[in-house]
Amino acid sequence: MTEERKTEIKIFTIADYEEEEIWLREQHKQGWKLVNTVLPVFYHFVKCEPEDVVYRLDYKNSKEDSAYMQMFQDYGWEYFNECMGWLYFRKPAADMDSDMEGEIFSDDESRIELLNQVIKTRLLPLLTIFFLCLLPQCVNITARFTDSGLSFVLFIIFSVLLLLYLWLFIHCGRKMTNLRRKYKK
Amino acid sequence: MEERIKRIYIPMTETGFYILYCLQQSQHGYGISQQVKDLTAGEVIISPGTMYGTLSKMERDGLISFIREEEKRKLYCMTELGRQILDIEIKRIERLYKNTHPGKL
Repeated sequence: MTEERKTEIKIFTIADYEEEEIWLREQHKQGWKLVNTVLPVFYHFVKCEPEDVVYRLDYKNSKEDSAYMQMFQDYGWEYFNECMGWLYFRKPAADMDSDMEGEIFSDDESRIELLNQVIKTRLLPLLTIFFLCLLPQCVNITARFTDSGLSFVLFIIFSVLLLLYLWLFIHCGRKMTNLRRKYKK
Repeated sequence: MEERIKRIYIPMTETGFYILYCLQQSQHGYGISQQVKDLTAGEVIISPGTMYGTLSKMERDGLISFIREEEKRKLYCMTELGRQILDIEIKRIERLYKNTHPGKL
């Protein structure tokens, strides 16, 4: 018997990890267990018994040693996927004595630490690319806009990229400010 | 250098205090969390991400040191600097207790 599979296309930005955790838990409740992710866009699921399973994401910029994985395993977390620095863990809700056992962070200091890591190693490089490459290119091409048809096409492409980037920055900036506020309470 | 570390760590969070307190004997992360759970009747839970982060930070700042690896688990123990910080913290908490419970202790 072959396993029933499905692939969902879903975009979660670097500021949406809490939403992603909730979505994955919902999927598992409906009998779809996440197998892996290809880029942070394609989610491969396999059919399973519907179950309430808590999903948690940690972010590590550097490769973690086996002691890190062992610690999560000791706490009852199953590690099953890595995607661009995000580490995916899950644990059945039935195995938990309290809600706290469904958390991978027990104080706001470590939640803020994760957020800072994401900002430092993901958001800042994006901003750098934006200001050092994309923006100057855009200005450059706009200046030559009248020259030919090709630069018009390029102009459109860069404009779309520019808008995407801007949307991403506004979205992430707003979300991360809210997360920080929530954690600081 | 040590003065700067002391300023950062004192006063300690409950998490930090219990981790350091448990590391008077060598222990690994999950072992510490179980010990803290017992000590506080389940009221203080230290999750793995927080445990891992705190241990890494304390090791970097020289409060604890890595002893050896046992079945993929890293065992840590308190250093002399860790001892000093724990003692200062215990004195601070005792003073708090004395001042809020006159006549006791």
